[in-house]
Amino acid sequence: MSVLRPLDKQPGLNTATILLVGTEDALLQQLADAMLKEDCASELKIHLARSLPLPSDVNRPRIDLIMFVVNLHSKYSLQNVEESLRHVDATFFLGKVGFLAMGAGQESHCSIHRNTVTKLANTYRSPLFFCDLEREGFRATVAQRLVRMLQICAGHVPGVSALNLLSLLRSSENPAPEDL
Amino acid sequence: MERRPGEQAAGEPADCGAGGGEGGDDEPPQGAGAQAARPEARLTLLLRLRAQTKQQLLEYKSMVDANEEKTPEQLIQDKHIEAKIEDLEKEVEEVKTAFEMKKLALDRMQLSIALQKNLEKIDPKTSVLMDNMKHVLKLNKLIMKSHQESWDLEEKLLDVRKKRLELKQSSENKLLEIQTEKNKQKDDLANMENSNKIKAMQRNLKMEIQITTVIQNVFQNLILGSKANWAEDPTLKEIVLQLEKNLATI
Repeated sequence: MSVLRPLDKQPGLNTATILLVGTEDALLQQLADAMLKEDCASELKIHLARSLPLPSDVNRPRIDLIMFVVNLHSKYSLQNVEESLRHVDATFFLGKVGFLAMGAGQESHCSIHRNTVTKLANTYRSPLFFCDLEREGFRATVAQRLVRMLQICAGHVPGVSALNLLSLLRSSENPAPEDL
Repeated sequence: MERRPGEQAAGEPADCGAGGGEGGDDEPPQGAGAQAARPEARLTLLLRLRAQTKQQLLEYKSMVDANEEKTPEQLIQDKHIEAKIEDLEKEVEEVKTAFEMKKLALDRMQLSIALQKNLEKIDPKTSVLMDNMKHVLKLNKLIMKSHQESWDLEEKLLDVRKKRLELKQSSENKLLEIQTEKNKQKDDLANMENSNKIKAMQRNLKMEIQITTVIQNVFQNLILGSKANWAEDPTLKEIVLQLEKNLATI
């Protein structure tokens, strides 16, 4: 019910937890499978949710990374993500939130303009990845990227923190927030 | 409010099911692999875990630090630190400039040494470099000469200016003297007017004028009373007209 906060629980030993929020259950499940196939030294836990807030009565490990998955083909998914974002604590946006825009491969089917998603990601100062989850190869790439990011966000990579990664990503891909 | 429970219900099974299922899938191979591996692998795993824990501890620490509110003392400390940082930055700048200077000097030295070596190699009489150097020396001499000339001229100019200034000062002094002199004269004049002698003289003059006026009137009346036609005799006419003059206006 309540707002989701980062670092409110003790971390599990060698465990990294990601929360995928999106309306496309099947594709998310496939993505999760692809992530588990990735070669990773840490133990991965993947939670799927249609929307936030999460029920409070369930015992759940510390969530290290939240990925909001927007389907560019459906306006409802964007709405859903925007609704869910209100239940995330501000400190989560210090590098522990990402946006995944799927369906970017078929531009003709898109009902949401890319700029809309870019603006959304920039508003929340979070990285945005475009991807096409329906193809095996692309899915594997995205999964690899997510696993790597998750490891950093869970603190499994010594010397690199989530905030660190965020600033690195911003300088390379996105314009500074002042430019918007 | 109606939508929320629905969303939760939708979120819960997916959330729990995936979490449990994936965790279950993943754990056994990991655990089995670790147990089957040699002790070295275990050691690396332990080391990795240590690094992880350290990183996580660091993150929590930074979080706690960030959440702590700053007290005034800390603010003062911060100010001190800022001042120190500024000092250190200044020092760094100084060191940088010193380094640059040294580098420039070193470059020059290197260049001169290279030049020397080059000169030793080449025949001094035929080299273009020597000619150039001689030319440069000549030019330098010319420059120095013209510098000297300009200095001399400037000196002269300065002398002239000095003289002008002196003249100006002396003229100022003279003007001041003249002014004081004038003031003195004025004062003297005022003093004289105010003195008793002048007043007495003025009084006498007034009296005399009054007496004269009376006499004039008497004479006039005498002439008129004699009933002589004074207008016909030019001398008499002149006298009568003269008696008409008001002596106070003189």
